[in-house]
Amino acid sequence: MRFIEPVVEVRNCEPPPILGRWRNINLLVLGWLAFLIVLFYAFTRYFS
Amino acid sequence: MHLADWITMILTVLLIPCFGLWKGRGSKTTDDYLRAGKSMPWYAMGLSIMATQASAVTFIATTGQAYVDGMRFVQFYFGLPVAMVILSATAVPIFHRAGVYTAYEYLEKRFDARTRALAATVFLIQRGMAVGLSMYAPAIVMSVIFGWPDRITTLVIGIICVVYTTKGGIPAVTWTDVMQMSVIFAGLILGLVTVVSLLPHGVGFADAVYLAGTVGKLNAVDLKFDPNNRYNLWSGLIGGGFLALGYFGCDQSQVQRYLTGKSEAQSRLSLLFNAMAKVPMQFFILFVGAMVFVFYLFAQPPMLFEKDAMAVVSNQPGYAAVQAGFDKAWERRKHAAELIDAARKRDDSAALARSTAEYRAAQTDVDAARKVGIDLYKKVRGGDFNDTNYIFLTFVTKYFPLGIVGLVIGVIFTAAMSSSSGELNSLATVSVVDLYRRHFKPEASDTHYLMVSRIFTAIWGAWAVVFAQYAKQLGSLVEAVNQIGSFFYPVLLGVFILAFFFRRVGGTAAFWAMLLGEATIVACATFTKVAFLWYNVIGAVAVVVFGVLLSLAQRDAPGQEA
Repeated sequence: MRFIEPVVEVRNCEPPPILGRWRNINLLVLGWLAFLIVLFYAFTRYFS
Repeated sequence: MHLADWITMILTVLLIPCFGLWKGRGSKTTDDYLRAGKSMPWYAMGLSIMATQASAVTFIATTGQAYVDGMRFVQFYFGLPVAMVILSATAVPIFHRAGVYTAYEYLEKRFDARTRALAATVFLIQRGMAVGLSMYAPAIVMSVIFGWPDRITTLVIGIICVVYTTKGGIPAVTWTDVMQMSVIFAGLILGLVTVVSLLPHGVGFADAVYLAGTVGKLNAVDLKFDPNNRYNLWSGLIGGGFLALGYFGCDQSQVQRYLTGKSEAQSRLSLLFNAMAKVPMQFFILFVGAMVFVFYLFAQPPMLFEKDAMAVVSNQPGYAAVQAGFDKAWERRKHAAELIDAARKRDDSAALARSTAEYRAAQTDVDAARKVGIDLYKKVRGGDFNDTNYIFLTFVTKYFPLGIVGLVIGVIFTAAMSSSSGELNSLATVSVVDLYRRHFKPEASDTHYLMVSRIFTAIWGAWAVVFAQYAKQLGSLVEAVNQIGSFFYPVLLGVFILAFFFRRVGGTAAFWAMLLGEATIVACATFTKVAFLWYNVIGAVAVVVFGVLLSLAQRDAPGQEA
């Protein structure tokens, strides 16, 4: 019994208007989050 | 307030809904009214999602939070971008392709009618209570700061909200949200510029940041994992992530925003826009609060920011000594801050080190003196005391220039209306689509459903206003109602996880898993001391585990659904 198959196939989504693929946009968002965390951490360390 | 402030406030509060009504005019079908005819661009949906999420208290309380506790609250939002990426790749395509009006409609397509009805009812209970509080929360603050009667304030917010939401439906709500969010951004920038410009001559922006950071007000990130510490990187990423998954993936007030997208790609982009903008926005709001703290290094703050509490304390024996202790501690801190500023200008590192140590010690004294005042209040009135909601507005009303005060108050009302209107619209949609049309009148004309949608919007609006009128009598229950989200979201999140990722789980298993999941949360709340934020994880996992186990049990029983 497999429990990890998505019920609706979501792979064939229309492409995003920028960066070509959704994977690239997702990586951009997660990279932005990582950048913010590092930036805020540096901010915390520098001013404390 | 001066006349100029009244004019600015009234213009801010009234003109924006008029713009929304004009921009969203012409809703002739149910689809126009509830889904904007699937015509919205990504930026409108993205701003609308942010506006619905940002209530008045977000702006009032978050700045106060930074003043008291520093900027560590920003970590609460670190899980949000991760949740947005997951939802944009799963929930958005699934809901769009299913062609649904509500998230719960999808549950019937995937499971059965009773699972849909149960999820819709859970949403109506939870959001129905929250909408009254969204209207009431700013009113109670205004009543303390300005002495405005909270019932009248609530009524005014409620009437404006109900009028434009009932008349224009989701197109009016969305376009009003776009303008409201733009004004909120402008108000925040203006707020920061004003705070910094009000600092004493010679204290620059860099000095202000140094002074705030030295006493831990800029502590944005804490890497240490500590389950007893509510805000650190890990609780933000995990707990905040689960909460955001439940809120944006299962709450119709959010789902309905991205169901209005002109395409699946536009809806996905709207969530990802929110993912990128939300964390910096919260950081910015908290930073404004930290700068208010720096301002009060040089201008004496009240010992307690809530006027009523100050009045209670000032009538107690021993008050004079407590106030004198606070004044002395504040003078010492002010002197140390001035020494730091002078040492920085001379570039004298030895003097800077000495004055920084003195400044930190003085801050501890100020905190201790304030705590004595709080304890004095608690001795008289009992219970908890928290005046963070009053800090920013006390500062704004006392020190902001003419006209800007009105704008900031207008922004706070605007934030209350943007979250309330989104909630009203989603409550009406679920009432009509998931209950009325599904169970009571399935075969009626589109004109009939459009009319009923308007009626339900007005009914929920009236309910919200009436509930808000009695919110004051709820007393400590207000806090309990605010925590209700953590009782219901996990069950909704769990059933959607089952729907999306567990193909073999059927309707019966999902329905009972929801009930057992809710029972698990109630048991946790009753018999354990687990912090309520963790209910989000426990409840969702419980629903998934029960769903899978019941499904396996059913599969083994002959003649049952698999």
